[in-house]
Amino acid sequence: MKIGKEKILGLYATMVKIRRFEERIVDLYAHGEVPGLAHLYVGEEAVAAGVCAALERADYITSTHRGHGHVIAKGAELKYMMAELFGKRTGYCKGKGGSMHIADMKMGILGANGIVGGGLPIAAGAGLSAKTRGSGQVTACFFGDGATNTGAWHESLNLASVLKLPVVYVCENNGYGLSTCQAKHQAVTDVALRAAGYAMPGLVVDGNDVLAVHEAALGAVKRARAGQGPSLIECKTYRWRGHHEGDPNQGERYRTRAEIEDWKKKCPLERLKKKILAGKMAPQSKLDRLDKEILTELDQAVAFAKESEFPGLAEMYEDVYVLEAGN
Amino acid sequence: MRELTYAQALNEALRQNMRRDERIIVMGEDIGCFGGIFQVTAGLLDEFGPQRVVETPISEAGFLGAGVGAALTGLRPVVEIMFIDFTTVCMDMIVNQMAKMHYMFGGRGRVPMVLRVNIGAGRGAAAQHSQSLHAFFMHVPGLYVVAPSTPYDAKGLLSAAIRDDNPVLCVEHKKLYAEKGPVPEEDYTIPLGRAEVKRVGGDLTVIATHALVGRSLTAAEEMAREGVEVEVVDPRTLKPLDKETILDSVRKTGRLLVADEGHKTCGLAAEIAALAAEEAIEWLKAPVARVCSPDTPVPYSPVLEAAYIPEVKDLLPAMKRLMEYA
Amino acid sequence: MATEVVIPALGITATRGKIVKWLKQEGQPVERGEPLFIVETEKVTTEVESPASGILARILMPAGAEAPTLALVGLITAPGEELPAEYAALAPGEAAAPQAETVPQAESRAETPAPGQILAVPAARRLAREKGLDLAQVTGSGPGGVILFRDVEAAAAPAEPRARVSPLAREIARQEGLALEGIRGSGPGGRIMRADVVARTARAGRAGFDLGQVIPLSHVRRVIARRLTESVVTAPHIYLFSEVWLDPLLDFRRELLPDFEKHFELRPSLNDFLIKAVALNILDFPLLNAQLQGDEIRIMPEVNIGLAVARPEGLIVPAIAQADRLGLVEIARQRADLVARAREDKLTLPELERGTFTISSLAQYDVIAFTAILNPPQSGILTVGKTDEKLVLMDGQVQARRVARLGLSVDHRVVDGSLAAEFLQGLKQKLERPAFTFLHL
Repeated sequence: MKIGKEKILGLYATMVKIRRFEERIVDLYAHGEVPGLAHLYVGEEAVAAGVCAALERADYITSTHRGHGHVIAKGAELKYMMAELFGKRTGYCKGKGGSMHIADMKMGILGANGIVGGGLPIAAGAGLSAKTRGSGQVTACFFGDGATNTGAWHESLNLASVLKLPVVYVCENNGYGLSTCQAKHQAVTDVALRAAGYAMPGLVVDGNDVLAVHEAALGAVKRARAGQGPSLIECKTYRWRGHHEGDPNQGERYRTRAEIEDWKKKCPLERLKKKILAGKMAPQSKLDRLDKEILTELDQAVAFAKESEFPGLAEMYEDVYVLEAGN
Repeated sequence: MRELTYAQALNEALRQNMRRDERIIVMGEDIGCFGGIFQVTAGLLDEFGPQRVVETPISEAGFLGAGVGAALTGLRPVVEIMFIDFTTVCMDMIVNQMAKMHYMFGGRGRVPMVLRVNIGAGRGAAAQHSQSLHAFFMHVPGLYVVAPSTPYDAKGLLSAAIRDDNPVLCVEHKKLYAEKGPVPEEDYTIPLGRAEVKRVGGDLTVIATHALVGRSLTAAEEMAREGVEVEVVDPRTLKPLDKETILDSVRKTGRLLVADEGHKTCGLAAEIAALAAEEAIEWLKAPVARVCSPDTPVPYSPVLEAAYIPEVKDLLPAMKRLMEYA
Repeated sequence: MATEVVIPALGITATRGKIVKWLKQEGQPVERGEPLFIVETEKVTTEVESPASGILARILMPAGAEAPTLALVGLITAPGEELPAEYAALAPGEAAAPQAETVPQAESRAETPAPGQILAVPAARRLAREKGLDLAQVTGSGPGGVILFRDVEAAAAPAEPRARVSPLAREIARQEGLALEGIRGSGPGGRIMRADVVARTARAGRAGFDLGQVIPLSHVRRVIARRLTESVVTAPHIYLFSEVWLDPLLDFRRELLPDFEKHFELRPSLNDFLIKAVALNILDFPLLNAQLQGDEIRIMPEVNIGLAVARPEGLIVPAIAQADRLGLVEIARQRADLVARAREDKLTLPELERGTFTISSLAQYDVIAFTAILNPPQSGILTVGKTDEKLVLMDGQVQARRVARLGLSVDHRVVDGSLAAEFLQGLKQKLERPAFTFLHL
């Protein structure tokens, strides 16, 4: 299936945005400006970009603890993300959520989630809601290989398959659940095989080939929107950095530097860039300009975050409950 | 006024609300043609169809989480979990997701859902089907918890819970489902956070929940024959607790007994005792008494189960002991 | 612009790091992302990458040095750039002298009970404090000798010595389910002995009142005693009287009676007209329907008129709800029903608690007028004396008229004398013009 030039450039831009954002977080985090935990998406950009480009604004996504990529690809604004990571009250969650709980209902982002597998049942619920309301909305549910072993994962896929819910399950198989390699945490290598157990289509794609991811996503979204039920897409990919910032030497306790270097050679950005230049879709200068624009936007986001205020102490007690009269 | 059973009253609340608002759906195990194991959802499938009466596979985390996702995205689900004991199977979805999303998302994203469960021993259902763990959920910020003790309260509280935009646990009691009482025909609500003084008295305050409300009233009649007037206060909502009504009563009588079917340790009774100590200590004329279930799992043998459940036989001695401080 | 090299924040628990080894020397070129030094924390040993490309101009903390997270350990300059002045002055190892954090000593305060500590319930302590009583002077009668609230109450009001009870008498009374109050003690100092309790159990059950009889307070009498005492003590009462010319109302009623009996099988009493007239009058003077609650005067939203009903066991006051909105037929019906059920002790709690204003009539006795105690928490109560035939002078003419004295007691915290007077005046006018008043039928 042919993907148009505009779309391809758009995919590239999204991936660059994610990459630069995460790289900036590395710096900010190391300098203590971002508190808490940071789980970065560097290396997996093609998955978020490819899938989210197949979705409409009104469609939903559920994300994971490693959610910056999904959230950016779905359309979140960098400055509000940055403010949230800084814990400022101008952030998406008024500083109350942090990296792992970023959400924006208006863009259908139903939250990053700090619990592995936590987003699975919620995605099924969003699918149920869309189906009940007849809205035609589709939900993309992101999760890693580690999550596929949880009970909640099984329960969600089962529910979605038996009720034929409009959900696209996207597994970002980066080969590790924190420090446990896939071979040690599950008996299968291809998570997509499990789809058969739910009578839903299962597909394996090269998670570092954004065009392949996008094509697979388009197919699954189409299926879901047509009322044919859920699908499982497994994207083989890799995270370049450790599980979290602070994971020594980018995970050297459980993986080798050689492995990291190998995967870096398959960089999704580089691969698409080559295609763009080879296909003369855009000159190098345009790509450089794009990079610059993104860095500027990033600088502005950081400045915004730094200038913004922290929440007042009283805000700790706000929003525990909805206090206006219900419907 | 016509009388309905507690289960029928809940059923009517569901029915009237579902007619009023098409965003309301019910979800749970065996709630369709079976009508729910306590018949609370009987007839709903026929009236509203499978789109709004969603029967789920046995997968509490899955379907409760789905309820959360559906609530976040425009529906108002009423999810039934068969026994409160089974909430332990999906604690993450309740505690980390349902209760916290509104807060974590900075108030941008609501979870207007109701989780219906039931508590209580007395049917020989043994240790894993008879617990009263409602205190677990009072402990979690972000959840509301209601506890009807009569058919009238059941319909009104469930209706209010459904209309509220917060996640609300409606904690019902197995032994009350068959109890009859007057229930108005119209759609009405009981405001959340409002206790009810079910019996006025000046000598002793009993704060009682669920089946212990009726048992406390029976014990109060006994005590009246001896010239002691017991005041029975039914909190009706456990979170938020109507501290004002409760403490007004404590200050009036100076003697407090809390009767709740949860375990004694770290239960609702402990919370109310602490409240009295914090905010009304100078009015206490006697120690605080707690009549609760013992700190053991619910035993199977009927002889043991009967001894386990807090009853009039446990309330009277406790009340009399407090009156030694008269 | 020099780039600072710091000990990075390494996850949420690390607070300090020790530099194990520098991988580059001062003066060497470095690339961004290239490993620069190795740092060790409590949990983790890891390489730290260079934050910029350039020259490692200065190493400020040597291998082996330990510093808190974010401490400055080195500087990178662009090739050819001079080290800025403020940094040039720093000597190696001078950055961030680590401060040992002093852990504040937890103050331990041993809880040692004072010798001879007095046991008393909290309410007793409060009362003692309020009354300026020394708890050491109070004897405790509670379990384990604890001082109870009533012990302090008694100590504060020594004029009435409390009857003491022998342990045996107390035990027998408990077994028999007997209240000790009301049993006269024959022991020393009025102490209740076993014989007194035994005699009392023998006497229980006899009806009627005899001289010398001691009647334990029933719960109804106890409630009456408590409530009326509370009312007298807390609400400052004022009393007003007015004489009402009743002929128009009595004639009005006499005219209606046959039709009422025929159509509704009811005989409206004078009280029914009174109830309605009072309810309507309250609409003109809503403050008479109010209650003082804490710092607020709350005017009750409904006008529920209570009627005092006498019974052998004690006075009881059921109320008719929303009497202002009911027609005379309904008032008469409800009044008859409530009075009948009052005598059979079959009233419900709402019927007893909902009253907002009370009418008390002794018109069937030879009592011309009387004062009543407010029914708490109400602020007004109307008394009705007997109807008398009198000779009065009207416009120079002597006339025979039937008149009755109405009394009004109000709570002066809520209703002042002039308003009470206006209320009574308004009521009198309504009663003296029945046809107009009862157009509200």
